[in-house]
Amino acid sequence: MKFIITILLIVAIFVFMPFNAFCIDEILIGISPEENIFKQFERHKYLADYLSKKLGIKVKLTILSKYGDIIDNFVARRMDGAFFEVFTSVLAMEKLGVEPIARYVNLDGSSTIKSYIFVRKDSGIRTAKDMKGKRIAFVDKATVTGYLFAITFLKDNGINEIERYFKEYYFTGSHDSAVYAVFDRRADIGTAKSKVYEKIIAKDPIIKDELRIISESREFPEITLCIRKDLPVEIKTKIKDLLLNIDKEPLGKEVISKMEIKGFVATGITDFKPFFDLANKAGIDIRTYRYR
Amino acid sequence: MAIKEKFKKITTKTKNSRIEYFLILCVVLSVFLFPAHGLTEEKTIGVIMTGDISYYRDMHASLLSKLNKEGYGNRVKIIMQKPFPEYISMRNAVRKLIAMNADIIVTYGTAATIAAIDEKPKIPIVYVSAYDPLISSLRAKNITGISTKSSVSSLLRYLKTVKSFSNLGVIYSTNEQDTIYQLNELRKFSGQYGFRIEEINLRSTYDLKGFSSSLLGVRPEAIFITSSSIANTVMPAITSFSRERKIPTASLLPDKINMPLIAMYATPESQGRMAAEKVMSLLDGALPENIKRDSAYEVELVFNMKEALSLGLSLPMELVTEATRLIQ
Repeated sequence: MKFIITILLIVAIFVFMPFNAFCIDEILIGISPEENIFKQFERHKYLADYLSKKLGIKVKLTILSKYGDIIDNFVARRMDGAFFEVFTSVLAMEKLGVEPIARYVNLDGSSTIKSYIFVRKDSGIRTAKDMKGKRIAFVDKATVTGYLFAITFLKDNGINEIERYFKEYYFTGSHDSAVYAVFDRRADIGTAKSKVYEKIIAKDPIIKDELRIISESREFPEITLCIRKDLPVEIKTKIKDLLLNIDKEPLGKEVISKMEIKGFVATGITDFKPFFDLANKAGIDIRTYRYR
Repeated sequence: MAIKEKFKKITTKTKNSRIEYFLILCVVLSVFLFPAHGLTEEKTIGVIMTGDISYYRDMHASLLSKLNKEGYGNRVKIIMQKPFPEYISMRNAVRKLIAMNADIIVTYGTAATIAAIDEKPKIPIVYVSAYDPLISSLRAKNITGISTKSSVSSLLRYLKTVKSFSNLGVIYSTNEQDTIYQLNELRKFSGQYGFRIEEINLRSTYDLKGFSSSLLGVRPEAIFITSSSIANTVMPAITSFSRERKIPTASLLPDKINMPLIAMYATPESQGRMAAEKVMSLLDGALPENIKRDSAYEVELVFNMKEALSLGLSLPMELVTEATRLIQ
């Protein structure tokens, strides 16, 4: 009898104890270098602390210095999820088997972003033709807003070989760096995410006065949290719930205020259709795309 | 008889042809064996620097290096003029070069360029590091060169991010037109950024001698040094003053020994190389109006961490990551 009771007790412990007590005591989330990595870490640490508290699991952050690193490091560092930009979201879904769960809602209520191509007003550059022999600053090959849209724009204007067309092209690594590179005249043309561009010019009207947007893309989904499919369902569901309702409680409101966003909105694969349309137009096959 | 005459005619004709052939051969040989007068005659390049500062010296060294590398070094003779950055002195320097029969004039800096253009020499002028908004407005046929578009607003932004200020000391010179332009730009931004400007004008050697005592009368919370060569010569005094008062400095020119906290400038080496290309084209016979004018494209943004330490300032990481060079 004693033996049976002991067995039943053991089974009960396995059935009724929180799943994470046995399997997961820590979740590692990657952050892409949308802006300066120090700024990014500052913004997201409040969210990590909040999720840790609510989940009862330690949520740790890791900064990825390059967009392209996300894919490689996701496996190497055994990440459980990451905040991906649209291009890396799709790459990650294809190569890493992650699923999108929620994306940012910006302070203006939008949950989409665009890509801008911009120049200094005094550069005299107005069209793709004027760009010949100039210097262009991209963000990263593994971004839509910081590369792919610009490449498509150039192709639409008959420019297929950027190595020959431009005097120089380089990758700044973050969107704000691309904006400052053009403002400082370290590049003649830049491409960056609309949200970062708008934030910079809102903060500094002189930058707004001196730069001009010469082309903008259609809308794409904002930064999306994608997590690995094989995370326990309870954890995935809880994370999703916490994010979608973060703006409904005081502590959550404080977190999103520090992150400079309005909240999160549910996201699925269908939200990435604009990306697939652009990739098709650019002749890109995600399975074989060289993002490094 | 007829045959004899005919024979005589033929031999005379042949003789004449031989003479003609001989003359043609002499001409051809002289072209190939004896150097044509214009091809390897030594050319004189007259150089004027807007002040004897390391920035322009480095530019000139780069120009010479490129000329030597491309095999033009032994075809040119350099005559250097380093007048005090004052308009009359610089025009006199141009006249000297004209009198010395310079074939090409190379000017470093805006003030020297303007002085050279105003002298209206027939000699081609290659300008280097001339301030773009000013140089584009100048109409002259025999000039080409490399301009710079130093971003006053960018440098000001970095300075403001390091330390907020309401009173900005601006060191410039009424002798140097580019620095007046930069001062006017700063005046425009002062309203938008909310700061006052204290103007520190260096015009003469007298101003230079009294510079340290003249600073005592000003109370800037930050210092902006324009692209003035004269200001560059008093960098030790500026550095000493800023360290004493713990105020940040930003400059549109570098200084190897007394680098300010922040400096932003087009690299001298790249400008020297670009200018050498123009000089070589001229030496090869091209006309200056047919040689495209260019803008310097390699920009250096330097943060001096050592200076930050001595000023008791910490540079925000988000700024440091923008730098192309850090001094540690």
